Amino acid sequence: MKTNLLLSTILSMSLAFPALAAQVQPGETLAENQEYTYWLLDAIKSMDPQINTDVEGSGIMRSLFEGLYNEDQNGGLVPGVATDYELSEDKTVYTFHLRDTAKWSNGDPVTAGDFVYAWKRLADPATASEYAWYMELMQVKNAAKIIAGEAPVDDLGVRAIDDHTFEVTIDAPLPYFPKMLTHSSVFPVHQKTIETLGDKWTEAGSLVGNGAYVLNEHILGEKVVMERNPLYWDDANTVITKATALTINDENAALTRYLSGELDRTQVPAGQYPRLKSEYPDEAISVPQSCSYIYMFNVDTAKGPAALQDIRVRKALSYAIDRDIIVNNILQGGQAPSYNWTHAATEGFQMPQIDYASWTQEERTAKAKELLAEAGYGPDNPLKLTLNYNTSEAHKKIAIAVQQFWKGVGVDLTLNNMEWKVHTDKMQNQDFEVARYAWCGDYNEASTYLDLFTSYSGHNNGKFFSERYDELMKQSKTAADPNPMYTEAEQILADEMPMAPIYQYTKVEMIKPDMRGLGLNNLMQNWYLKDMYRVAN
Amino acid sequence: MFSYIAKRLAVAVPTLLLLIVLSFLLMHAAPGGPFTQERALPPQILANLEAKYGLDQPLWRQLASYVWGIVAHFDFGPSFIYKDRTVNEIIAQGFPVTLHYGTLSFLVAVLAGVSLGICAAIYHNSWLDYLAVGVSIGAQVLPNFVMAPILLLTFTYWLRWLPGGGWEDGQWPYLVMPVIALSTSFMASIARITRASMLEVLTSNHIRTARAKGLPERQVILRHALKPALLPVLSYLGPAFVTMITGSVVVDFYFSTGGIGKSFVDSALNRDYAVMLGITILVGALTILFNLVVDILYAWIDPKIRY
Repeated sequence: MKTNLLLSTILSMSLAFPALAAQVQPGETLAENQEYTYWLLDAIKSMDPQINTDVEGSGIMRSLFEGLYNEDQNGGLVPGVATDYELSEDKTVYTFHLRDTAKWSNGDPVTAGDFVYAWKRLADPATASEYAWYMELMQVKNAAKIIAGEAPVDDLGVRAIDDHTFEVTIDAPLPYFPKMLTHSSVFPVHQKTIETLGDKWTEAGSLVGNGAYVLNEHILGEKVVMERNPLYWDDANTVITKATALTINDENAALTRYLSGELDRTQVPAGQYPRLKSEYPDEAISVPQSCSYIYMFNVDTAKGPAALQDIRVRKALSYAIDRDIIVNNILQGGQAPSYNWTHAATEGFQMPQIDYASWTQEERTAKAKELLAEAGYGPDNPLKLTLNYNTSEAHKKIAIAVQQFWKGVGVDLTLNNMEWKVHTDKMQNQDFEVARYAWCGDYNEASTYLDLFTSYSGHNNGKFFSERYDELMKQSKTAADPNPMYTEAEQILADEMPMAPIYQYTKVEMIKPDMRGLGLNNLMQNWYLKDMYRVAN
Repeated sequence: MFSYIAKRLAVAVPTLLLLIVLSFLLMHAAPGGPFTQERALPPQILANLEAKYGLDQPLWRQLASYVWGIVAHFDFGPSFIYKDRTVNEIIAQGFPVTLHYGTLSFLVAVLAGVSLGICAAIYHNSWLDYLAVGVSIGAQVLPNFVMAPILLLTFTYWLRWLPGGGWEDGQWPYLVMPVIALSTSFMASIARITRASMLEVLTSNHIRTARAKGLPERQVILRHALKPALLPVLSYLGPAFVTMITGSVVVDFYFSTGGIGKSFVDSALNRDYAVMLGITILVGALTILFNLVVDILYAWIDPKIRY
């Protein structure tokens, strides 16, 4: 295999800066107490990287395990177990060099074989991982066939050239492949432990990881306690000594406990940010987070309502929503009003000129009325629609607001609140007219959003179909610079409006002012415990 | 007596079976399944998951193998959501917690409720009676999901006396708020029932006789009035005890106790079939057991009752 030397040199250079854990800045003094306690909404469902599906669980996975690469404070890639990699000329074979100082928490060296085992385990139908599709998304050779049970697991395009060289073959060039390596589902796991203990291997005391921390205690629904792993290769540069995650199901209770000094970090309940910001200006923060909130239209020709087949109606519905009222008066957490699908801060994404984004709300509402009249709806023939949303105070408030906005343009909206599973089930069976939906990016690249509206996506619940859109998204997979395609795809969404964008998320939190290294500028909001530290006041 | 107990236990088995079958069918009738999620799983992955957990089998076979697992191995199956854990483990972790704070709450509720009820009855229509009735109505109408945040604000935020939640193996500072939140409304009900029943007993013939023969009032109350007055309370206490020891969603939710009350509700919302069935069976079995205990206590308190 001939590798592209120039490319690999550039990559080695760009990734060569030290992957220092906690980067204490000049002038900062470390506090004596380096324990950290933070809030979890719910119990952690699994401590197994290949089984975990939760965002909250991923944070813990990143503390207990380490993948090939990590993310820095801004979301950029920094070496983890891998020090650097080479990419073949046809851009389908990645060769990762693993550091020889990486160790498991039981002292065994971390080898390429551990990655081979973990990646195969993710794809193996016997593991039945809900994230097996991630291996397909990464286009690892034969992943799709293995998941479908049509090929043996050993056919997966991964191999250990030697203990410290891990090779991955992918089906086609994928520009954002390296970015996908920080996801917890592709973290290595310790084969011997899993084979000896079976499903019990994730218990505190048994779990063998290669991260900067070890699992000390895990009581379902109460807490997770992690302590330093002295065998971690970069332990010398790790600062936080102990981290405790407390499960508190009620965010208001969590806030009370934060204000009583029991927590160092917690989420701000909807609507409370302005008050907290004025009372605790150093502690209340609002930073962009890669998630997008929309109302999806069912445009399925068979199951969707006839009215929504008409682009004019869909546009009118989207125009009539006053997003400023929703973000400023309902959510009040610095969320951004949204007129498109991809989170605006996504790396490399260039926003198209979406016309109605720059109009005033009066202009939008006037245009909405005009479009609805053109489509044949008016006072004599009002458009009647139903909105499905799942139980949540914020969803309800937004739904009521939208009901009012749409009433203003002559649309009768019936609100249909349902339990979450029922809502999801109905959406996935196209048994809805308009439905609340939200999507969070898996990696910092626009395709994590835009893939959803392809006709072949399993998540395209509204069954939007555009030939050009599919074509663009297919081309983008192999393009040297996919961003112009993303911009065009986003323009198609604005022109055809298969959903009404509403707002883009922010993470609104209370954080003790002496905490550092939380990676708040990372749009994915992925934090690394090993990068955190507390400063002395 | 023993044949009565044996008979009752024999009836319990088909009752539990019926409970299992009904819960199982109702659960499967609810839309969605354990793996239904906002990000629909690709069909192949869903199939792999269903195969792993046996959900691809026909319903009757799932039910049969579930029941067989319980009967043969006392195995209530795996959790479909907390995949590292079995239902046995989830219950083994959560039930001792709820049993602990539930029993304490029960004792508090009974002691406080019965005392309050008796005082109110003895000093009928006095200020003490009005106070007791006032307190118990107040406690009854204040739902615990309102009380829990108030307790949290008072004891954790303002006074800083108690930790805001957690369990820590049931150390007392972690128990105070859960016990107050859980016992209050039960205490109120017990007080009301005791008061009403005591008032009735105090006007009955045997009490008049006891007073007529000159017994001190203390003896009249404790020896002759209390026992019969407790009969209606007792029939309330059986189910109340089961409700309390099988946990409270509100307590688990606000105070992060990690009990099975929250697991029960979560399992229903998550369609975590095995966990939900496991806890249903536990609650069902305990209900049957404590109804039987109440019936036996009846016979002990009231010699007129014979089985």
